[in-house]
Amino acid sequence: MLEIQNLTKVYKTKKGTVTGVDNVSLTIDKGEVFGIVGYSGAGKSSLLRCINLLERPTSGSIIVNGQDLTRLKGEQLRKARLKIGMIFQHFYLISQKTVGENIEFALKAAATPPKQIKARVKELLEMVGLSEKIDVYPAQLSGGQKQRVGIARALANNPSVLLCDEATSALDPKTTVSILRLLKKINRELNITIILITHEMDVVKEICDRMVIMQDGRVIEEGEVYDVFANPVEPLTQEFISSVVSFELPPTILKGVTGEIVKVLFKGDVAGEGVISDMIQNFEVRGNFLHGTIEYIQEKPLGIFLMELQGQPDNVGRAISYMEGRGAFVEVINDAI
Amino acid sequence: MLFDFEHFISMLPDIWKAFGETLLMIGISLSISLIIGLPLGIILFVTSKGLFLRNRFFNGVLGFIVNLVRSVPYIILLVALFPLTKILVGDTIGPVAASVSLSVAAIPFFARLVETSMREVDKGVIEASIAVGATPWMIIRDVLLPEAKSGIIQGVTMTIISLVAYSAMAGIVGGGGIGDLAIRFGYYRYDNTIMIATVVILIVIVQIIQLSGDAISKAIDKR
Repeated sequence: MLEIQNLTKVYKTKKGTVTGVDNVSLTIDKGEVFGIVGYSGAGKSSLLRCINLLERPTSGSIIVNGQDLTRLKGEQLRKARLKIGMIFQHFYLISQKTVGENIEFALKAAATPPKQIKARVKELLEMVGLSEKIDVYPAQLSGGQKQRVGIARALANNPSVLLCDEATSALDPKTTVSILRLLKKINRELNITIILITHEMDVVKEICDRMVIMQDGRVIEEGEVYDVFANPVEPLTQEFISSVVSFELPPTILKGVTGEIVKVLFKGDVAGEGVISDMIQNFEVRGNFLHGTIEYIQEKPLGIFLMELQGQPDNVGRAISYMEGRGAFVEVINDAI
Repeated sequence: MLFDFEHFISMLPDIWKAFGETLLMIGISLSISLIIGLPLGIILFVTSKGLFLRNRFFNGVLGFIVNLVRSVPYIILLVALFPLTKILVGDTIGPVAASVSLSVAAIPFFARLVETSMREVDKGVIEASIAVGATPWMIIRDVLLPEAKSGIIQGVTMTIISLVAYSAMAGIVGGGGIGDLAIRFGYYRYDNTIMIATVVILIVIVQIIQLSGDAISKAIDKR
């Protein structure tokens, strides 16, 4: 378990002080994949860098494996860092060392006996699928391959936590997916807690269990990823969600709409139950799909549809109640659009 | 006559001797400036602001001394260091004696070049090494030195070329070497042949050093 308690990071600049992280407290469970989302400048990167004390917090504590890192210095802090892996947006491999030597470097930091180093490097490269690249220099690798080396280096000393600083932001979508799969695999097989920061909701949707949204150094929303996607409360959260689940309707379509526009949201198993077709059969309403999607978050479906319901107002009202009775969340949004 | 070939041939033993002295001066002072300047440059870098061995006092004092030595014109340093040279070498004339002031001039010069090449190393790579739990010594040996290697080689090249130029100046006070020959014959005796020959030799030396320095620096870079 990892605990962040009342963490504040204040930066001194020429123009005065800037609060990067403002009194953030989080508890992250062992084996969890935890996402921190926010725009640049929201403080997510500072927060992440405070966790392994790359930046020293102004106040608050970071408790990893029962140890308050903020009380550690020098050699003790260095030893604690061996158990906290980190990967970066720009990989940061030693360019003058081969892939194998880059991983060796991490193992040497933990004073691994020389006899074990070779076998461990091989093992790590197998895990990230780069065995044949052991003697290659980073310049000859693609972005995705570099990140795999970064992951192997981060995992070298069997850390309990892996920090990911925008780890997929410099990669193309296809490579991003493969890196996320690798992270998920590592999380499952090694039970490593993963904390990742990103501005891409797709990343969160793909692998995170829980998430927080940050704005101006503060956590403004926190919850299970599924719940946050289904029910974003804060405007900023809604904005982020809309990057994945967007319901922009063209004005020409809206002009032709005569009935009520409703947003229907199905969570989990309800999404597959055919609630809408039942509703249309049972009530004298015409349903017109304007927009819709079923997102799978952690393999759990989340269906969101925009519909136009035409018919007698009473019938429309009853149809809505019917859907709600079947577990859907319905919202009339005529005015909102 | 601008260039008297026979005179040149007759002077060959002297030129050869002077060339050897120049090599000796540069060899001694380069070795000393590498041995002292490299660690000094590393210390200047790792104790600077935002680095992992930040030490304001240490960095300030070293920086001041380095700047101080570098601001003294070499010809003045050469004379000012006569007493020290006398203690260390027992003599103030000859290539070995000249090596003392050459080293003192080259150490801070090379140290700053080392520091500058380390500044070119991606801060992120240093940070990633800290995050991985590396010791300061590991970061210096396995990150800073390899990553800055190419730049350091170029720094060595520049140091050697500066030493070639300085060693020619050391000739004025009897330091020996090519510069000494150029001044004694070429300048004082209006011996154009020797003047041309020595200048050509210096040009060739500098070109060879620069070209091989560039080639080595490029060959070892894995980027």
